[in-house]
Formats: sequence, structure tokens, C-alpha cells
Amino acid sequence: MGRRVQYLVGALLAVLWLTPLSAQQSGGTIIGRVTDGTTQQPLGGVTITTVGNRGALSEADGRYLIVGVPAGTQTVQATMIGYAEFTQTVTVVAGQTTTLNIEMTAQAVGLSELVVVTYGQQRAADITGSVKQITPTEFNTGRIIRPLDLIQSKVAGLQIVDNNEPGGGGAIRIRGATSVNASSQPLVVVDGMPVANLTDGRGALTYLNSNDIASVTVLKDASATAMYGANAANGVIIITTKSGRHAPQLEYSGSVSASVITRLPDMLSAAEFRQAVQQYAPQSVGQLGSANTDWFSHVDRTGYGQEHNLALSGAGETMNYRLSMGYLDQKGVIDGTDMQRLSLGLNYDQRFFDDHLDIKINENASHVVNHYTPGGVISNAAQMGPTQPVFDASNPTGYYEWPGNTLQSADNPVAILGLATDKGKTDKSVGNLQAEYDMPFMSSLKAHVNLGYDLTQAERQTFSPSDLHSQLKSGGGGNVYWRTPSLLNTLLETYLNYTAPLSVIPGNIDLTGGYSYGKSHGEYPYFSGSGLSTNLLNVYGVPGTATAQNQQSIEESKLISVFGRLNYNYADKYLLGLSVRRDGSSRFGPTNAWGTFPAVSLAWRISEESFLKDKTPLSDLKLRWSWGKTGNQDFANYQQYSTYLVGNTQAQAQFGDEFVTTIRPGASDPNIKWEATKSWDFGIDYGFANQRFNGSIDWYNKSTSDLIFTVPVAAGTNLSNYLTTNIGSMKNQGFEFSLDADLLKSGSGGLNWNASFTASHNKNELVSINPYAGPAQQILVGGVAGGVGTLIQVLQPGVPINSFFVYEHKRDSNGNPIYQDTNGDGTINEQDLYVDQNGDGIINVADRRPFHDPEPKWMLGATSNMDYGAWDLSFTLRSYLGNYVYNNVASNLGTYSEVTRASPYNLQASVLKTGFETPQYLSDYYVEKASFLRMDNITLGYSFTYQGRPVRAFGTIQSAFTLTGYSGVDPTAGLNGLDNNIYPRSRTFTGGLSVRF
Amino acid sequence: MKTTMRTAIAAVAGLLLVGATACTDTTVEPKSTITGANVFNDAGAYKAFIARVYTGLAVSGQQGPAGQPDIQGIDEGFSQYLRLYWEAEELPTDEAVIGWGDVGLPEMNTQLWAASNSFVVAMYYRIYFQVGMANEFLRETTDDKLSARNVSSSLRAQIQQYRAEARFLRALSYWHAIDLFGSVPLVTENDPLGSTPPPQATRADIYNYVVSELQDIQNQLPDPGPSTYGRATGPAASMLLAKLYMNAGVYTGSPDWTNAMNAIQQVIGSGAYTLDPSYQHLFQADNNTSPEIIFAIPQDGLKTQTWGGVTFLVHAECGGNMSNADYGIDGCWWGIRLKQQAYNNYSAGDGRASYFYTTDQNVDVASISNWNDGIAAPKFTNKTSTGASGSHATFVDTDFPMFRLGDAYLMYAEAFLRGGGGTQAQALAYVNALRERAFGGTSGDITADQLTLPFILAERGRELLWEGHRRVDLIRYGEYTGGDYIWAWKGGVAAGKSTESFRDLYPLPASELVANPNLTQNPGY
Repeated sequence: MGRRVQYLVGALLAVLWLTPLSAQQSGGTIIGRVTDGTTQQPLGGVTITTVGNRGALSEADGRYLIVGVPAGTQTVQATMIGYAEFTQTVTVVAGQTTTLNIEMTAQAVGLSELVVVTYGQQRAADITGSVKQITPTEFNTGRIIRPLDLIQSKVAGLQIVDNNEPGGGGAIRIRGATSVNASSQPLVVVDGMPVANLTDGRGALTYLNSNDIASVTVLKDASATAMYGANAANGVIIITTKSGRHAPQLEYSGSVSASVITRLPDMLSAAEFRQAVQQYAPQSVGQLGSANTDWFSHVDRTGYGQEHNLALSGAGETMNYRLSMGYLDQKGVIDGTDMQRLSLGLNYDQRFFDDHLDIKINENASHVVNHYTPGGVISNAAQMGPTQPVFDASNPTGYYEWPGNTLQSADNPVAILGLATDKGKTDKSVGNLQAEYDMPFMSSLKAHVNLGYDLTQAERQTFSPSDLHSQLKSGGGGNVYWRTPSLLNTLLETYLNYTAPLSVIPGNIDLTGGYSYGKSHGEYPYFSGSGLSTNLLNVYGVPGTATAQNQQSIEESKLISVFGRLNYNYADKYLLGLSVRRDGSSRFGPTNAWGTFPAVSLAWRISEESFLKDKTPLSDLKLRWSWGKTGNQDFANYQQYSTYLVGNTQAQAQFGDEFVTTIRPGASDPNIKWEATKSWDFGIDYGFANQRFNGSIDWYNKSTSDLIFTVPVAAGTNLSNYLTTNIGSMKNQGFEFSLDADLLKSGSGGLNWNASFTASHNKNELVSINPYAGPAQQILVGGVAGGVGTLIQVLQPGVPINSFFVYEHKRDSNGNPIYQDTNGDGTINEQDLYVDQNGDGIINVADRRPFHDPEPKWMLGATSNMDYGAWDLSFTLRSYLGNYVYNNVASNLGTYSEVTRASPYNLQASVLKTGFETPQYLSDYYVEKASFLRMDNITLGYSFTYQGRPVRAFGTIQSAFTLTGYSGVDPTAGLNGLDNNIYPRSRTFTGGLSVRF
Repeated sequence: MKTTMRTAIAAVAGLLLVGATACTDTTVEPKSTITGANVFNDAGAYKAFIARVYTGLAVSGQQGPAGQPDIQGIDEGFSQYLRLYWEAEELPTDEAVIGWGDVGLPEMNTQLWAASNSFVVAMYYRIYFQVGMANEFLRETTDDKLSARNVSSSLRAQIQQYRAEARFLRALSYWHAIDLFGSVPLVTENDPLGSTPPPQATRADIYNYVVSELQDIQNQLPDPGPSTYGRATGPAASMLLAKLYMNAGVYTGSPDWTNAMNAIQQVIGSGAYTLDPSYQHLFQADNNTSPEIIFAIPQDGLKTQTWGGVTFLVHAECGGNMSNADYGIDGCWWGIRLKQQAYNNYSAGDGRASYFYTTDQNVDVASISNWNDGIAAPKFTNKTSTGASGSHATFVDTDFPMFRLGDAYLMYAEAFLRGGGGTQAQALAYVNALRERAFGGTSGDITADQLTLPFILAERGRELLWEGHRRVDLIRYGEYTGGDYIWAWKGGVAAGKSTESFRDLYPLPASELVANPNLTQNPGY
């Protein structure tokens, strides 16, 4: 259809629509062209409105047309995400056409920028809560598989816990943990659908292609999140995917990468190992070989990766679309680990009845195939004797193994890689249909319907053949394990939104009210068989098994909600937000079936007051205050039911010759309910020099009560010693600072430099576990390798959760831990080494004390983006201060007793310093300060045109360097600061290009 | 037409809103889980439930060998009842050391535990898990409930027997409770399920309760015989009564030797048991066929699997140069050895020491963590009396003989010596019957003059080594704490030293004092 025809039809339709509504029979027309002020390129998809009238979207060539504009002076506004709002007055004469060309100014953090919030969008200037939106220009660069790694270090108070496996799952914390036994993960909503957390083992969001993401909004305080009620206590992250807004275009982006290990555990060399065995286990010297094997070098590799994305997008007058396909193949730096993802993204937006009905369809689907390094490879690479060879022709498998198949010998990690299998796959499809309708009988009233689903089908299979050393040791034969969980979440949301000035009071109101109904149905079947009749089928078939276990469980839940929100804006100076949500959850006991979650927020834009406006360099100064109550219902289903658990056939009772399968009643709390977090936030948004320098400062306090704990109940009163109930309380207090600065602005061709900085401090404190029981209560957590059931951390009132719980090791004058018979009783034990904290003359558990914790006290992020002509250079620095890590490789293997096993284990090199002959798992020596400064990524790019096509080529280094005093593998060793044979971190070199057709 | 369309859309939107708001029922019943509401629709549930009260002694959770644990706060394998009980009764005595450094375990060798020692804590919770299961069984099998569920008369008769068995198992655990912890709460089926902290009862109160319970159920329990193996029988109740009476002085301050003798005579007089001709057979994979066992905790390599129980004993007893295959298992855990006092308690020719493993093992325990310090005593084995291996190389078939006739014989002799009645001739005959089995003839027989209380304590050490009786015996003889009898590592030093008498009782768990403010900690802790 020719453009003229389109305009004609558009004009016709517009006239038709306006006919019944407007008394204005004739009006003027405004036409023009919208361009990017910097690049002079046309901009499509810009919303152009005249006050009090509906406007139009600009076409792909930037042209727009508004008809039926009342005669007189009219204010024309043009808005688009990523650009400053454009406002200009024009004079319209009835029956004539006025031309207004519009130049938009790109602005990353503009006050008029539209920010995605719960159930809608808001102008940045009007936001009363603590909200941060990040768009692609600010995203991290390089090989990014977990979408949220895009915003690592970009949002103050947001911690994305590293996971070094490609696409590996990881915890996300907004303003610290609010829970111990329910989840502390924020709710993640993609295009209006909360994303379910089910995969075969990698991160839940890896299904989503990072290349398809248009913006990520982090909602931090309760006023911003409370509209998600019982799911909001941990904050909310809203991801919006890209949609088409230009003339039809095809974009290709691709990259290749190579990853290498940054650091490995520090183990003894063959010579050092031999010497240790000679000295401490002379009886085992005969077992030692003459090889000099660096076991890690046999299990690690350069991990290559490639990624290809094609996106087809476009916009028409009444529709826009974007269709993308992606392929990702990433190998891990340890053999056996890889991930392949095939992803599909579709956004289709169709408007009917002159844009009065807007129907959007979003769909993101992916097929992810994962291979995992089989269990034990990393730990055995550390433990296996370096004097031993890799291969042994006399062994049927061809791999060397220690003699005797005793339980006290390490396994050859190369043999595990060669023989065992651990693989999985996840198919996921998330989609929804969103309809928005302007009510014909009342302008400013819109109805929304959102129908969505999230379907996940995952599979995980492991296989250990009978000739694997670990199987020979246990004598159980080969085994196979299959797990095929599936989950379907469905959601219906409807809400009404009314936006208009009211005649009865001054100012504008924005009123939203709605209803949401969500259902979840999950099935979790698994099969495990041991004593396989053949090794030939690997994971691909189930041969006969000596013993087998089959189980199926069904998990269903429901969440029904009603919600309402009122935003009030008086003169753009005084802002008020009120919201309330009532959630009914199937997880709550009958007496607590419904919870109410209110929030209130106030903001004062001082910079709009006449005494400041245009009188100082201040372009924005806003004081914000909010209070709200949110909930956390992310705990197991059916807690309120008293259930009987059927025993398996390996836990039977013998009555004479008969074996009887048993049933066990379980302890339950019929009144279980949400964990409640009450929080307040006080914030300042500031901007200078027309927002060239801008940022926020926030103070917050979150108090969580009714914390779900599995606490000891008075023995004998219930059916287990622990009962899961709402009992504890916790506190998080913190401070956040962010600054974004356009340090140099020379326009296109010159040097431009944008830098941003974030800093956040959070202090977590477990206030009480059981309010009736005083501070003496403790729950030990944090299982580590070494001994059985060794727990290294504590939940104790008055200290941060997961504080390390250790003895104070006596130190010598050099600060090294002592290891000598100080009390002269002829033996070196706890009594000699540790400080007797309670002075009772004996060293036992009562002398352990909380000692630091894994949470960073400060998280700092710095981003720099520079461009000069065709060149661009960006980097992101990250630093954590005050985080501690327990070096479990050192505590477990840094003791000479490990060589006294039936076949000696290799030792961690700290033993050369400490001389420990028995393990000292509970020594504070192993709790190390793990503060670090890391260059997360640095990218150099070059843009040019090739045969008229815009092309950008780039190179990125991720984890370019890490400065830390921590001695273990990675100072970002997971959420809980336990470094035990974690997947090593990699430095990744990526090169790629993108081109538009 | 447009207006029609718009109206239609508005109507649909309105309908969606109205239709949706109508649905406010949040209930979702579990589908793949059995609830209290429907479990007894299956008549087999009663048997399955009483079986669970029994397996409270044998396994650690609903999945063998591990999974769905019964109690929390400790590694599941560590949490198994028999394993904890054995460690509590043997490690602090002159009989055994365990070489592992797992948190809390080293203190068990030396009597230096604190109130938060995870092994002590877990033992306490294990006991009350048993009590809780038995109480719940009794609550769910009242006449009213059975009538309401229209349970058939034949099943009701069977359930009456199950109820007696539940009360036996509860009595057994309450005995362990007062023996290990002293004064603890007495919770019965008459107390409601919930979380109201119960008051602390005195040791004597619980003693009296348990004695009366056992007297009451003695005749309701199944008869002994192969078909009731593994279950509580009338003589098993008599044996438990005898155990209580024997230690009445410790529990109540007033000894009751006459009743002890009566109860022992009921056990022996039942005629249901004879000495096993082979001492070794009592601890072998086929010991379920032994005629001597009065009450066993059955283990099975395929059907009753646990990382505790006898599986723990067989593996942990093995290490160093010992060949795991000799004991029918897949590997050794390098854990438990004899303290030298226990080893030196045996004289030459005593067959009860014939299986000890001495190669490369030092008699003296100079270092607890060094496997080679201390003689190994692979008493329990996963080999049958014919030399075959058990059904599984990790999980043993060997049952734990909690009560056996040999013990009853020695109890008879002690009760006689303490004035409980009986005859010296009978006492001597019983002791010599055991000695003759041990020495393979009369060479080890003792005379009437040699039949003294110190001899009985030593003989109990030899006959019942590592069978979980030692701490009770030493306390009854007043030699467990204090300085009258010093053994290796008593009090935390290699040579041993006097310990304070408050350690005759274990501390109530620190976490329990938090959960139940009614409790007063045992003195000294």
C-alpha cells in the first residue's frame, strides 16, 4: 500500500473515529518528520500527541500525520523511550496543514523517559518509589548468557551472584536477603508474565536471549513492588523485550569467543606430594607412581563459544512486529560442560479501531541442551595423586585408578569424564496476549486483559557405568537417573486504568484496579535404577536394574489477587502513590487464606518549585519517601496439610519373614502464611545541568516478620523435632548511591564520554528465630566438605544470616595459626589450638562464635562509555568490600591426614604453611576476606558502513582482571561464600559484529 | 458496525472482569500426597503405621538408606536411633573410641560434650520422635476413631495388639530418655498434638509410668516365635522391665532387686529362648535365626537400609589392613576401636576375643584419630554363619540384638548377688554357661567364690562388648564418672582422668531449653 493511500485511509479512519466524540467538525492537520537530533536518522514509533487529543505514531521514515486538530495554539508532545520528551507549541488553522519537524534528543536517563512499572508505565519524573531502568546502551558486554548479567553492577543494591558455569543458575538479591527458608529471589516478570523457576539445572532465565531485551527495570522499594503483594518482598525485576519500530529491517549480530580459566586450586606438585606421603604415610609410598600429572590440565580446556542472532522487525501504521531467532553454543572451561540454545522471540502488536484497541502478542521460546561435567571431576582433580598416571593399559577401562577399590581413595577425574554422563535439556515457552482497550463511552478509561502461560519441560539424566571407579568402590553396579519435571503456569489478569484531571480537585489522577488469577501445575517424575544390566545404553535407555525407584509428585498452587493503585500528581510538584493488593494463596493455611499488602509513597519535586526552577543548575531535585508491606509466599506447597509419607521399599519394617512398607505422619502448621516485610525508603533524585549529571541516593530499612523457620518444637509435642512455621524476624538496612554523568559531550564525531557509578551498602541482621526463646538459639547451616554433616555457618539472632561459625585459632607472632601441643598433654587437639571463649577449660561447640559473613558490605560498580568518531570503548568495574569466603578446598585438603587414607589424597598447598596433621574445619583461619576489584568487561568497537549497511565490529574481554587478597579459586564463590571445588572462573575473549539490512 | 464491535469488546472485557472476580477459592488439595483426611481409608494403614514406629529404631527416614529424614538438625546417617544410642552408651566408656573428627563426635569419646553437641541433641530428638510416633498411633486408633471408620472386628483385634506394641516402643524410648537425660517431659497420647511445651516430669515419675505401662501391656503383646521376630513380645516387655528394675536405684534412688529378679525369671522362664551355641552367630548376617535373641532391631541389606544401625557398626569397625571382603562389606570406614582397658579385660582362651584384629594395631590408644591405635574388634559382620556374604555389600543383613538371653543370665547373677533372690547355684550355672560357650569348654568356669559383683561387671564387659550396655552398667556400679576407675581418654587426656559426676547424665539439648521454657537443665551443664 502506498504511503499516500495509507495516509488517506488513516485520515479517513481518524475522521470517522473523531466524528462521534468531538464537537469540532473541522480542524487543522499537523504533519512533519521526526529525526534523531544527533544522527539525523529518521525515527519511527515516536508517539506524537496534541494536548487533549489523540495523536499518532511516526512511520519508519519518521513521518507523522495528525488530523482534526482544533484550531488555535496547540502544544505538541513527542515521546519515545530513550529520548527526552519534546514539546513545542504550534498554531493550527482550521482546514490548513501545519508542518512541524521534530528533533529528538537521545537521553538515557531522562525525566520524561517512560519507565516500566507494575501494571503500566510511568514518566521517570513522576515515580515516587525506588526504581531503576536499564536499557541496552548501558548493558554489560561480551558473552552474556544469563540475561540479568546484562545489568550486573548497573543498579545500586542489586546483587547478581556469579556462577561460572555457562548459563549457570545464580541467586539474585535486591537489598539483601529477606528470608532464610523461603526464597529471597526477586520476582522476575517478562512482558507481563512472571517467570517460573524450573530448568534442568542451569539458570531459570537462560531461556531468554539477551539480544531480545529492550529494558530491565529493577523495582526496589515496597511502594514500587507492593502491587505484586505476596510475591513482592524480594523486589521485582521487569524485563521488556524488543519490539519493531522502524521500516522493515533485518539485523544480524554474531560473535565468537574463547574462555580460559583464571585460577585453579593450589595443590601440591608431584614432588611435594611424594615428600608428604614419605613423611606422613610411609606405608603408602609403595602405591606412588612415577608420573608428574597436573590433573587439572587434563580436565580443563579453552571453552569456545559462538552466537548468532537474526532479528526481523518493522512497524506499520497499525502494527509493529519483531521476530528473532538465536543460536548459542558455549563450551565451559572444564571438559564436559556446554550449553546450546536455540531461541525464538516474537512480538506482534496490532492496533484496531484507530488505535483504540491494542493487541500485543509476546512469545519467547527456547530449546536448551546442557551437558554438565559429571559429579566429582573437579573435586577428584584436586584429590588425585599427582604422582599417578592418567592411563593404565592393564585396567579394563584404560584409565589408571588407585588399587584396591577402597572407599578411601580418590577417583581418576579423566576416567569420570570419559565414562560418566550428565546431561539435560529444557524446553520453555512463555507467551501472552495483552489487550488494551480505550473505553468508547469514557475517554481516559482503559481496560487491560493479559492472558499468559509459561510452559517448561525439562529433563536431566545421569549415568555412571558399573566400571566407573566410584561404582566399583561402592559395589552398587552402574546406575542411571532420570528426572523429567514439567510445569505449566497460567495467568489471567484484568485491570482498568483511568487517567485524567478531575474537575473536583486540582491535579491529575491515575487510577488502576484489577484482578489476577494464576494457577500452577507441576509434575516431577523421576526414575533411578542401580545395578544396571548393561553399560551400553548410557542414559539413552533403561535396561534391567537390580533396584529401581520411581516416583511422581504433583505440585499445584493458586494465587488469586485483587489490586488497586492511585497516583496523584499535583502540578508536577507533589506526588502521591497509594496501592493495595489482596492475595489469596493456596499455600496459606485456612485461617490466613488472604493477605493484604498496602503501600504509600510521597514525593516532592523541589526543583519544580518557583524558588528553584530555572534559578539554579539543578534540573531535578526530588525527595521521595515510601512505606509498604509486602509478602513472600515462595515456599513449598501443602505446608498446612497434615500428611502421611509412604516409605520406600528400602525402609521397611521386618515382622517375622514379612517386610512391611511404612507410613509416617508429618509435622505441619495449619496456620502457615506469607512472610511479611515492612519497609520504608527515603530517597533523593538529583540532576544538574539539564540532567547531564544525575543520580539517586536512597536509605532504606526492611523488617521481615513471620519469617518461616523450621524450628525445634518442644520435643514430644509434634511429629518431628522441627516444625515449619512463621516465627522469626530479620532486618536489612542500607544505603545506595548512584551517579550518571555525561562527562564529555561533543556530539557526533567528537569525543563523548559517559560514566556512571553505583555504590550500595547493606547490613543484614537476623533479629530472632523464636521470639519466645531469647538470643541463645542457633541453627547451624552451611554444609561443607570434610567430615560428615560439618556445618560452618550459623543463623543466630543479632548477627547477619549465614555468619561463619568457627573457633578462634590461636596465632603465632607472624599471624599464622599455631599447630603445637601447647598444653603438653602429648597430643595436639582442639584444646591446644583454639581460644576458650567461655573460659570453662574445655574447647567444645560452646567456644565457636560468629565471625564475619559472606554478604558484601559494600558493592561498587563503575561503568564508562566513550566514543570518538567511529570508535567506542566501554568498560565495567565491580568491587565488593567486606565479603568473606570459607576456603573449603584448603580446610578439607590442607591437612596431612589426607595422605594417610588407604590411598593418599593430594593436599592443598596451605598445609605447607600450617603443618596441620588433622583437619581443622572449624578454624577461623579458613574464613578469608574476599574483597575484590574486577574488570567485568572491556569492549572496543568500531562502526562503519559497508555497501550502505551499518556495521559494528567489536572485541570484548570479560573478567579482564581481578585484584583480591583471597587465596582460593574465586572471591565471588557463590551466595553463601563456600568455596569448595566450585566451577572455576573464566576470562572470555569475544569478537563479533552486527549488521543491519 | 464499528460501534457494535466496540460494544462487543467492552462486553467481553466486562464479562472477563466479572467472571474472573467471581473466583476466589484458593484451596488446592494435595494430589500426590496422602493426608490425614484419607490415610485410614486404607485398612492396611494401621499395620504400615505401627511398622513405622518399629523402623524408628532401624532406619533414619522414609527413604532407605537416606532421604525424607525423621529428624532434622544433623546429618541423616548420623541421626539413626541405634547409631546414636550405641555412641551414647559405648564411646564415653572404657570400651570404644571412634577416630573421626566430625563436629561433636570427638567429645563423645571423652565425656566432654556440651549441651549443643549434635549427637546428644539428636539422641534426645530421636527418643521423642519415637514417643511422638507411638502417641500419634494411639491417638489414631482409639475406639471412637475405629468405630467412626467402621473398622472390622478382626482388624480391631489386631489393632489392639499393635497398640500394646506402640506402648512397648514408647516405654523403651522413655527408658532411654531417663537413663540418658534424667528428668524430661512425659508426653502421652492424652496430650494434644501441637506445640504447647509440656512440663518436665521427674525421672522417678517417668520410671513409674514406664513400669506401669509395661505391666499393663505384658499380656497383650504377641507371643515370641519366628513369625513375630522383630516385634515386641511378652518376654521382651519382661526384659525391659528387668532393665528398669535393675537400675531403679539410679533412676529413683531406691533399688528394686526383687522385682528385677522376678522379671528376669519371667524372661528366662518363658522358655522361648536358649543360648546360641555359637557366640559369633549372634552378630552375623543370619542372626535372625539365633534362638537367643529376645528383641532385635532388624536390618536388611535390601529392604531395611540405613547409614546408621549395624551398617554403621560393621563398616566403622573395619579399617587399616583389614580386608573389607572378610566382613562381607564394600569398604571400611576406619572408625571404632577398643580402648586398651576393654581389650585387656579378656584372658587367653576367651573365644569372645578371637575375632579381634591385632595386626599392626597398637593396644594403647595414644591417638584417637589414628586407626592403628587400639585393637580392632569386628564383632558385627555381614557374613552369615556359613560364610556367605549378606544380600548387599553396603547395607548389612545383621540385626542388632538389643535384648538377648546371655544378658538375662548375667542380670540374674547380679540381681542374686545384690539380694534380689534366686540361688547361687543357678547364678553360677548361668555364668558358667556363658563362660563355657566362650572358652569352648569348662576351662573358663568360675567358682562360687569368684562370683562377685566386680566379676559380673567385668564379665558383662566381655560378654556384651559393644552391645550398647556399658554406660548403664558402669553408672549402676558407680564407676562411670569420678576417679574410681580411670580409662584411656576419660576426661580428654590419653591416660584418662577423673570426670565430674554430673556427666552421668547427658545435658538436655540447648535448643530444647529454647523450645521448651519449662525445662531445667541438668546440673553441671
